[in-house]
Amino acid sequence: MPAIIHKRSWRDFDWVLAFMALGIVAFGTVQIHYAQPTQSYWVKQLIGLGIGMVAMLAIAFTDYRRLLNWAPVFYVFGLVLLVVVLVPGIGMRINGQQAWIKVPGIGQFQPSEFVKVTTAMMLARYFGKNRAQALTIKEMIVGGLILLCPIALILLEPDVGSVLTYMPILAVVLFLSAIRIRLVVATALLAIVMIPLTYWIGVKTNLVKKYQQERINVIYDPENADRRGIGYHTWQSILTVGEGGLFGSRQSSEHSQSSLKFLPEPHTDFIYAVTAETTGFVGCVLVLVAYAVLISRLITGARRSSDRSGMLVIMAIVGGLTFQVFINIGMALGISPVIGVPLPLMSAGLASLIATFIAIGFAMSVQLRRFVN
Amino acid sequence: MKFEDTSQNLRARLRFIQVLVVMMLTVLSVRLYVLQVVRGDRYAEIAVNQRLRRLPIPAPRGVIFDRNGEPIVDSRPIYNVIMSREDVKDLQSLVEPLAEGLGIDKDILKERFDLVSSMPAFESIQVKQDATSNDIAWVEAHNLEFPELRIEQQPQRKYPADGMLAHVLGYVGEISPEQLKQSTFKDKGLKPGDIIGQSGIEQIYDDYLRGKDGYREVVVDSRGRIQDEIETVAPTPGRDLLTTIDLDLQKAAEEQLRTSVTQRGVIIAMDPNNGEILALASFPNFDPNLFSQRITTKEGKAEYAALLNDPETPLLNRAVQSRYPPGSTWKIPMSVAGLEQGAITLEHSNLVCGGGITIGNKFTRCMGNHGTPDVKTAITHSCDGYFYRLGLKMGIGGIMKMVDEFDINKRTGIDLPNEVISWTPSPDFKRRMQPRDPDWRDIDTVYSSFGQVYDVITPIALLRTIAGVSTGGNLYIPHLLKEVRAVGNPGTPDYKQPVGFQPLDPAKPNPKKLPIPEEIDQTVVQGMWQVVNAGGTGAGIRMAGFDIAGKTGTAQVVGLGKDTGKNKDHSWFVSYAPAFKPEIALVALIENSGFGNMHAAPAVRRVYDVYYRKTRHAEPPGAVQIAQK
Repeated sequence: MPAIIHKRSWRDFDWVLAFMALGIVAFGTVQIHYAQPTQSYWVKQLIGLGIGMVAMLAIAFTDYRRLLNWAPVFYVFGLVLLVVVLVPGIGMRINGQQAWIKVPGIGQFQPSEFVKVTTAMMLARYFGKNRAQALTIKEMIVGGLILLCPIALILLEPDVGSVLTYMPILAVVLFLSAIRIRLVVATALLAIVMIPLTYWIGVKTNLVKKYQQERINVIYDPENADRRGIGYHTWQSILTVGEGGLFGSRQSSEHSQSSLKFLPEPHTDFIYAVTAETTGFVGCVLVLVAYAVLISRLITGARRSSDRSGMLVIMAIVGGLTFQVFINIGMALGISPVIGVPLPLMSAGLASLIATFIAIGFAMSVQLRRFVN
Repeated sequence: MKFEDTSQNLRARLRFIQVLVVMMLTVLSVRLYVLQVVRGDRYAEIAVNQRLRRLPIPAPRGVIFDRNGEPIVDSRPIYNVIMSREDVKDLQSLVEPLAEGLGIDKDILKERFDLVSSMPAFESIQVKQDATSNDIAWVEAHNLEFPELRIEQQPQRKYPADGMLAHVLGYVGEISPEQLKQSTFKDKGLKPGDIIGQSGIEQIYDDYLRGKDGYREVVVDSRGRIQDEIETVAPTPGRDLLTTIDLDLQKAAEEQLRTSVTQRGVIIAMDPNNGEILALASFPNFDPNLFSQRITTKEGKAEYAALLNDPETPLLNRAVQSRYPPGSTWKIPMSVAGLEQGAITLEHSNLVCGGGITIGNKFTRCMGNHGTPDVKTAITHSCDGYFYRLGLKMGIGGIMKMVDEFDINKRTGIDLPNEVISWTPSPDFKRRMQPRDPDWRDIDTVYSSFGQVYDVITPIALLRTIAGVSTGGNLYIPHLLKEVRAVGNPGTPDYKQPVGFQPLDPAKPNPKKLPIPEEIDQTVVQGMWQVVNAGGTGAGIRMAGFDIAGKTGTAQVVGLGKDTGKNKDHSWFVSYAPAFKPEIALVALIENSGFGNMHAAPAVRRVYDVYYRKTRHAEPPGAVQIAQK
């Protein structure tokens, strides 16, 4: 009885999640307009919101298990897109990265954003079987390979920032697939010891280049780092955030950091700094709370999932989303290095926006089918 | 959760992830609090500062007028290429393209960039002064490559052609690094690139003339392009200056020097009744526009080097910075002092000429044999023998007393920079000058009494002395400032009162009144009158109806009258007129031209001609032959 399903679907639909996402995008669009008042980014963002909402609803009301059955096809299709983007003439090169595919009418879109979703699906499908014992080495290797294919292609663009956002997807999937806790603890300890050690050795042996060191130094001490060179983005972002104060800057909008082009990429990478300038500490914390509610709703959905693969899809999305939010805002606040990672739902960019809505739609689909056997 | 039974602590693992998410967001919140609430004000201030720029609007410098209100020095608008430095990462990398594009000397540009590197970054740098229309087009065409460049208008000083009044006016120039270190300049808030008076009255009255720069406070974008204007403070123009110079007399004086035999010398005209300088010419001269307009170019630097190395020292203001033996003009103060001190008396002032004098085994001759003249006759015919004996009667003590009385051993106090002090005779001076023969002898007194060897004085000091005699003992401070003009209307808050001449040394009396008895003074004046009007050494310049009183002089260069080549004696004539009611005092010195009556006196006469036409509105009687080279 499609009508009954339909009715129940609307009742079980996660309205909070949907409105949270919609609200963040709407708020973000205002900030984009503020950051680039003379450009049409905010219009494009509204178009993206429309497309995203439709995609989200379409996927939400499709059985995610049927979609997961097709996961290998989507996955391979994603890899093809990543190959296509490297073809000269089709792929667009912006700032030295060949990461965009030209689309007549809209402009361009970034396949690596969509491939995140297909990769998460692929991983969920592979690890989604019911399990009785802990994760095996073989399973880990296969999981690693699933991740490696898109990562390798993205590194050819090269887009290190994007690659980093893939890591937590696998990490979360492995963590929730009964990987042994001692292995997790051991990895964590090793990381705590090895990362500083490797860095130290790298500095001593000059394998880590001066400019790369400088990027790290900027985080420790932005005021004394090279404010005009490598530390410029971080320093200007910190100034912009700081100028926001408690309730937002009192400067006229024509004299804002973004209007005067002191803050680079204000509508994409540094949209959060713009938000900080306009709305101050209060607005910034509200945005963080909104993300917290959104992610909590997703985790709740995962917990209620009727099977393992549904849970894994949602949590992979949670992992990717959280990591991106943390890195992007950290970048604006000068505590993470400047790598071009967009802020999900807020940064201008069709691919990121639509891909995030698709991911949320997937999570909704899982939830809607929590009572279905 | 329907599948947890088959998993390892899945519920706990999910909760762990949830906690991790909250922790990450908390870290961000704490950081936000630090940046926005704790340090917000400081960052806001830095952010505001980086978009605010203060662009100076140069104040137009005051105009310099002559005493009749004729403008002498004015400013004309020029265009400069300016660079805002805040956006430039590597200044030195710009040297090459800018030097090429704007046709500037590379070394000069490099030096300039080095100098400003120690200054705060919000100050702009002047890249090129007086940009041509080609330069402006170049800057506009290269707006994308060099967005930090812009064009600004600035008033530039324009001095009269032919170097007229060069030594009086002086010139303006950019403040030097050395000057910037001195507190006198720093305390006035001057900064690199500021234009200040560097010589002449431009220097002395710089504080009046300079004015105060205004500024525009603008908002710039990250590339330094102006986006908005916040505040404009108009500059306060410098105050106009009325000098005591009379341009007609000045031109006449300069003309005399330009056409003189050696084209080197000094002519000064002064009102003896108040010290106002009517004309002051020193030759050779120079073009002050070199300093205000061309000095930063390669050609300008070469031109300046040539001036510095010129053996004829055109930069020197001979009127106040050169010393010459006064020759026989020295006999005027000698006569006054001799009478005052009682070495001779009004009733009996006769002394033997003797055609000269023998001191020890050395004979010092007189130019003629004048019998036993009285003081007037001795002046009229410039009898050296008379004054040898007068000097010996007064003694060196008497001569030193005279020097002191007439202030000859001090600066006159003229409002020009770097005036030198005259050298006057004293045993002490001889000890320093001739350490091998340090004792003062009678022969030294003889030399001191007729204006050679130990008497070496500036033309301005001589003129002041003679003008003092002409007014019965009033020694005024010679000066060039008539008035700093008032600004605004009386009664309004911006009104500034006119300022008259104030002695640079406030302790110096103006005038210094000498207690010369009138009969003594008149006797000497009559002697000087006879020089021109009763067949004396200056008889050639006599003007019927306009009594010139004067005295010729010949300053010994090698030996009096001995050299006829380029080391010929300097020719002096010092005078005032009308003799018994003086309006104007005039001194002329023509370097290496020989006897005073041949060159200096006719030059003086021609300046009197101009004065006569101007004040009497009639042709001067009795034109003189011109002694041309």
